[in-house]
Amino acid sequence: MTLIVEQVGFTTVQDLGRVGWAHLGVSPSGAADRTSLQLANRLLGNWSAAATLETTGGLALLAAAETGVVLTGAECNASLDDKAVAHCQPFVMPAGSLLRISTMRNGVWTYIGIAGGIEGPERLGSRSHDTMGNIVPLSLHAGITLHPGPTRGTALGLDTPIVPSDTERLTVDVGPHMNLVGNHVCVRAFRRTWSVSGEPNRVAVRLTGPSLHPRHSEELHSFPLVRGAIQLTPADELVVMLADHPTTGGYPVVGVVSPRDVDRLAQARTGSRVTWKLAVT
Amino acid sequence: MPTEESVREPRQPRVVEYGPLASMLDHLPAGAAPHAREALLRACTNTGIRVDDVIVGARSVVATHDPGLGPVIRDIMHDVLRHSESDYTSESTPAVEIAVRYDGIDLDDVARRCDMTTDSVIELHTKTEFVVEFCGFSPGFAYLAGLPSALELPRRATPRTRVPAGSVAIAAQYSAVYPRESPGGWHLLGTTDHRLWDEHRRPPATLQPGTRIRFVVAT
Repeated sequence: MTLIVEQVGFTTVQDLGRVGWAHLGVSPSGAADRTSLQLANRLLGNWSAAATLETTGGLALLAAAETGVVLTGAECNASLDDKAVAHCQPFVMPAGSLLRISTMRNGVWTYIGIAGGIEGPERLGSRSHDTMGNIVPLSLHAGITLHPGPTRGTALGLDTPIVPSDTERLTVDVGPHMNLVGNHVCVRAFRRTWSVSGEPNRVAVRLTGPSLHPRHSEELHSFPLVRGAIQLTPADELVVMLADHPTTGGYPVVGVVSPRDVDRLAQARTGSRVTWKLAVT
Repeated sequence: MPTEESVREPRQPRVVEYGPLASMLDHLPAGAAPHAREALLRACTNTGIRVDDVIVGARSVVATHDPGLGPVIRDIMHDVLRHSESDYTSESTPAVEIAVRYDGIDLDDVARRCDMTTDSVIELHTKTEFVVEFCGFSPGFAYLAGLPSALELPRRATPRTRVPAGSVAIAAQYSAVYPRESPGGWHLLGTTDHRLWDEHRRPPATLQPGTRIRFVVAT
């Protein structure tokens, strides 16, 4: 079972990321949408943290030998030898067949799960490509061969995928600097609708919304950031940390998006609307 | 909802939730965070509680953990605060020496803006003992506290798109060594051959929170 990358697009290898080096400035990295990576692995009977491909499209893979594959995450226009393939349903790529992933129909990131997971070099305990810290265990380019590991389980068939929608309602916990900014300011912020601005990336999602007039949005002493932390910038934008986030920041954190909902937010396209549900009142 | 807190109120150290997967020790005294990290890791090892990452900020420490472990880790953080006094004045391993060629592109400009000679800039920079306050910005990038106030300058108005690995720099109240080539807005004083970052080494970074550093003139 081997796959040859024919065309790479914006594609990286991702697993569940690196743990234990954040105090040295190393981002957690890993799949932008962890739920979809884990779903791909579950559908194939892989270990849940097995490495997959994460793409925004423009990818073509040639099977050098028969390989079990599944697509999860953003629904995309995908074909196997010019015949459409279904989302979230494992299929077999016969030897010599070509899988093409052109454009996304919704969402941002599609995961190409491969039976046995992608083997290959690790850096600091993970195969994930960290786009901000520039930690690249395996750099993808046209012509590179991917080697899956031995298959362990059995493919499970249908599961219940989360389909990204144009409006996301996200659960948010109290952030450590809520008091500093003013509770009423935070409550007002989370009652309103925000919209995703800027190009999708693996570092952070930028949201624009109402003017907030916070008591405090100046830089604080640098403090550690976590995935899902919502920073309020002096320009009244909310910036939510994704997998490749910087390990420290300086703008007040007014809330923390629940881990599952960070996955949904990572899949939100530019212009998508975001509303909030406060986990603690 | 917690009660409003006055911005001007003196900040007592405190322990707070930071979403379901993290807890924060905040408002620590300057220089205490690396010691609080060590104390927290020791306490977790002793009690068999697993933490994922323990990250240091300028005045704070954040532990990431499984969702169910928040309350128990915040209890441990309260213990760390209660027993902190003795821990803050701990071990005295020798300072790491970093040999620098003071040939930086901004050295003359720094001297002019600080109203001193380049020799005085070098003398001030080499006679200071720095300590890593925290790491961030990029893998292995350490913020070195202790810069004499006479050398404090704001960051460059326009950051450079490419700063070479090994560049020794200053900005605001910090000094730093760029561990790898990256963009950067700090003032470049010189260059070192000391390899500070290697993904194949354990740990990958030479400079960790709490590490003491001295710069010496390369001969």
